Amino acid sequence: MANSVTQRAGHAENLANKPGGRDQAAKICKGLGVKNPPFAYHRPETLDEALLLLAQIGEEAKIMSGGQSLLPVMAIRLGQPENIIDISQIRGLDSIETESDIVMFGALVTHSQAEASPVTRDSVPLLHKAMPYIGHRAIRNRGTLCGSLAHADPAAELPAVALALDAELIAASTDGARFIAAEDFFSGFLSTTLQQNELLVGVRFHQAPAGMLTSVQELSRRHGDFALVGLTCVLQLSSDGLVDSAALSFFGVASTPSRATQAEQSLVGSRPTTELFEEIANMVSNELDPPSDTHASANYRKHAAGVLTKRALADCMSQTGVLT
Amino acid sequence: MRKSLAKQALNADTNAPAMGRFVGQSVKRVEDQRLLTGNGTYVADVNPEEVVHASFFRSPYAHAEILSIDLAAGLALDGVIAIYTGKDIERLTNPFAPLASLANQYTPVFYGLATDRVRHVGDPIAIIIATSRCIAEDAAELIDVDYKPLATVTNHREANDPTIPAIWPKNDSNVLYEDEKIYGEIERVFARADHVFTETFSCHRVSNQPMETRGAVAEIDPDSGEITYHAATQSPHLLRWILAISTERESVVESLKYLATNRDRLKKFGAGAKAFLTEKKDDLAKNDSTASTNQIKKDPSTLAHLGRTFFNTLGSRRYPRVVAKDVGGAFGSKGAVNREDVVLLAAALDLNRSVKWIEDRSENLADGGQAREEDMTISVAAKDDGTILGFRVELVMDQGAYPAVPFNCGLFSNMIKAMLPGPYRLEAFEMKMKVVASNKGRYLQYRGPWANETWVRERMLDIVARELAISPTELRQKNMFGPEHLPGKMVTGPDLDEDMTAAATLAKAIEVADLPAFEVAQAEALTIGRHLGIGFATYHEAAPGPDNFWESVNPGSDAFLPERVDAVLGRDGSVSIKTQQLPHGQSHETTYSQLAADELGIAIKDVTLVYGDTDNTPFGLLGTGGSRGGPVGGGGVTFSSRQLRRLILDEAADLMEASVDDLDIIDGKIHVRGVPALSKTFADVARAVTSRGQAASTANAIETHVVYSNAGNGGWACSTHVCWVDVDLETGFVTIPRYVVVEDCGQMINPAIVEGQIRGGVAQGIGAVFYEKTVYDESANFQSSTFMDYLIPTAMEIPEIEIFHLETPASVEADFRGVGEGGMIGSPPAINNAVENALAHLGVRITEQHLPPTRILELAGVIEAE
Repeated sequence: MANSVTQRAGHAENLANKPGGRDQAAKICKGLGVKNPPFAYHRPETLDEALLLLAQIGEEAKIMSGGQSLLPVMAIRLGQPENIIDISQIRGLDSIETESDIVMFGALVTHSQAEASPVTRDSVPLLHKAMPYIGHRAIRNRGTLCGSLAHADPAAELPAVALALDAELIAASTDGARFIAAEDFFSGFLSTTLQQNELLVGVRFHQAPAGMLTSVQELSRRHGDFALVGLTCVLQLSSDGLVDSAALSFFGVASTPSRATQAEQSLVGSRPTTELFEEIANMVSNELDPPSDTHASANYRKHAAGVLTKRALADCMSQTGVLT
Repeated sequence: MRKSLAKQALNADTNAPAMGRFVGQSVKRVEDQRLLTGNGTYVADVNPEEVVHASFFRSPYAHAEILSIDLAAGLALDGVIAIYTGKDIERLTNPFAPLASLANQYTPVFYGLATDRVRHVGDPIAIIIATSRCIAEDAAELIDVDYKPLATVTNHREANDPTIPAIWPKNDSNVLYEDEKIYGEIERVFARADHVFTETFSCHRVSNQPMETRGAVAEIDPDSGEITYHAATQSPHLLRWILAISTERESVVESLKYLATNRDRLKKFGAGAKAFLTEKKDDLAKNDSTASTNQIKKDPSTLAHLGRTFFNTLGSRRYPRVVAKDVGGAFGSKGAVNREDVVLLAAALDLNRSVKWIEDRSENLADGGQAREEDMTISVAAKDDGTILGFRVELVMDQGAYPAVPFNCGLFSNMIKAMLPGPYRLEAFEMKMKVVASNKGRYLQYRGPWANETWVRERMLDIVARELAISPTELRQKNMFGPEHLPGKMVTGPDLDEDMTAAATLAKAIEVADLPAFEVAQAEALTIGRHLGIGFATYHEAAPGPDNFWESVNPGSDAFLPERVDAVLGRDGSVSIKTQQLPHGQSHETTYSQLAADELGIAIKDVTLVYGDTDNTPFGLLGTGGSRGGPVGGGGVTFSSRQLRRLILDEAADLMEASVDDLDIIDGKIHVRGVPALSKTFADVARAVTSRGQAASTANAIETHVVYSNAGNGGWACSTHVCWVDVDLETGFVTIPRYVVVEDCGQMINPAIVEGQIRGGVAQGIGAVFYEKTVYDESANFQSSTFMDYLIPTAMEIPEIEIFHLETPASVEADFRGVGEGGMIGSPPAINNAVENALAHLGVRITEQHLPPTRILELAGVIEAE
């Protein structure tokens, strides 16, 4: 704890009045604007320190890495955490590591870092394809994969990618670490099964097997917006050309990312044809129960989910050069 | 450039300045170095010593009575200096009195803060002054207000429903203004028609969204009491006047006493007022004298408020110096005086210290300015052959809760009325106008405040063309004023001169569009399920319009239109132009310098534009707005600079013992034509003038000015927009593969700046059609408080916009016509027409301007409407 910066930092001038606080105040102001509610700011430099802090104040604490979701919410005072634990200075959390057939992204890996990595492109192609849809370049430069997963916005791309690829999320606490399957991680709108004393330290994916077909489809009002409807799709064909496995993982259609399991089951064992895809698309439209909001109606989202299904499946098949 | 300059000088055989060095060229913006390197000075950059910060506490309710306000917890917070509520503001300020009311209009009397009830989400209830903005906002969260919710008025239907109580009880109803004008023999014309087509169009509410929100710093010198009001404003003199009359609370008797002891001031005011009244007698006589009587009948307190306005105008000691340096856009929203301005200044005066308020984006979206929410029902009388005889139109405008100060929907509805016939030859026209109040944010002027006249007309012409099986372009050409009909007159009154070239822009657009080729491509595309469309829209815009334009809008208001421009030779030989214009993105520093430099034979960098300081600029209430910066301000710069040139040459002639007719100025050097070696500089002239002693007591060597209105021709900017669309009926997404604007704004001062204005306007039109919508739910709860809810198009959403200029040879000098607003006027109808053209085979008729993906699929029958 000795090295961590722990200050009442919500108001820049409060901080500036304390010894050594001025630089820190400038830094905070730059990130937050000056209209956030008051909070205590902690910047642990080791993982152990962070976990200890969480154990002590987890209930009132919010983890910050890139701050791309948290800070805007605080600036308009929708979120008023009493404590911010800034993990950005912790060493050793910013790498992409490959071990046997597992690829692990640390908690501080940014979207841009993942986007530029050949490991992502070659081993987790679905993730690679999702990257350009995440916000804008400036957001991808600061935002992190794990931050997006822990934030669990149902209209964001990465939770759906994690769900499509059966990723595992690594949660650490002073009690040790555990792996949480993606399907058990997203529990509701902006909420996860992470415990209050747990920090998401990484996410791991299986390396894509040879012949894995992937597609990301998204409709958003403007370039870089959250999705009206989005789909991450994975298809595996068997040697006889039938669908061996399928994942249709949607975002923007429910309070969590969600798989169209009925449609997936109908795909498995079938021969991929445009007629089949038509049927699957209708099935998806019927299976999903999306919300209405000012950007699109529920009917629109149901319809568009079907359209994206057709497009994603066709996109996957175009990667084999075979579509009958 | 040098070469052509030399050539011009050689050929010059008169004393006319070497025109054309800069005017007409895409000279790089002189503002850019400062603004793009972060060296601009916006109001947020102004930080007087000991400044404290304000935050407004705003209503979460759309309509509610305020039962009680508990400030104790907020006041107890460390760092909070004061909190003022409506009760305090009633004590410290005068209410906004109706300064620009029309006959048949009720304009509410109201204060800067809500006093007894709140009327929309975001209505300011209290101002918190604290040592930081953060603390002010912390305190805002601790204010406890007890509300009693009231029935809300959310739309036109409810506003017209007599069973819903009036949100301004003195008016008895939510209809604030109703009027009707008939031009020509409307009954007879409709009786003669082979067809009458009727349709109702509905435009959604959008919001002026400049990059910089509103904001101000009320700087008070605690010792002298001197007030400097730094503001993000379009019109500093207007702001100054309204602040002065709003914050002076001395009694009339005290005001008179003050005037009696300050006779100089009274004399100065008296002389100014007398000159104005004498000069403008005829204009002012056109005012409808019943306007005030109706208003006073409904609310007798109006009389007292107007009386106080009069005395305060003469006697207020609260006239601040208003200063604005760089302003980050406005689109009309900073032309009005904000309620917050008066509250901020009142608080600063009461505390005797400087206070700063910078609006945040959520506040701006809720109450920084909203516009365009209008319904119009139009009937068109037409002959079988496509001849259009007349229009009958009923308009309803939704003003929101509080009227803008001083110009509001009553005036804007009359602008729509004046312009709705467009460049078409109608025999008769009837317009019924209604303005209603609702529990929504303020309706303000937004880039082309009358724009929906073009939207409705150009949309309707496409519908008429379809019904009559005539091509939309042919129908337009058949009915438009062409060269053979000019000079002419709009059915609503304004004169049209030969330079009104709407028909020429349409002809050029038709040529560029190559319709036969498009129709082949459209049919082919349809066979593979692609839906292509094309849409046209033509308009002419009073920029600034002919002498009798404002008579057709609101008789009497033209008294305020002429604009003074000062041209000054400093004691050091420098040249300054002083204007009441307030640049906020229009590039005045560049274009005015181009004009002055050409007149004076100097370089652009040698001209300084002085603006944004009421102590040091000529008086004018309009500031920058109404596409006047080029034609009125620019014309004024031309002629004041020319006058200054003449005065400089007169002095130089004495100095050089030469005839003034033999003198020329090249690159800032004055010499006898053909003898460039012997020359005098402007500094030499300035020195000669000041050493003679005449100007010894003044700050400058030579000062001169002109008061300028227009170039003397029609002042019509004309344009045709053509939009191509590709509609994806699987997703409802629309792409714009091509967009063309053909325009004629007379003589261009700087083509790059003209094109920038047009492209920006088109982008906002694309925004309005596909992205931007200010949403209130059925109980008037505000749904668009962030940029995740209110979608502004980015560069990624805006296509390449091709621009073709028709620069008709000027029949007059300084034939600059405004282009600030046109881009936004022409684009929504062109886009809507293109979408309808793409979906026409499905029987789609577009009557709502806003077309997000959901709406496209609903219209096309792909999904069901909810």
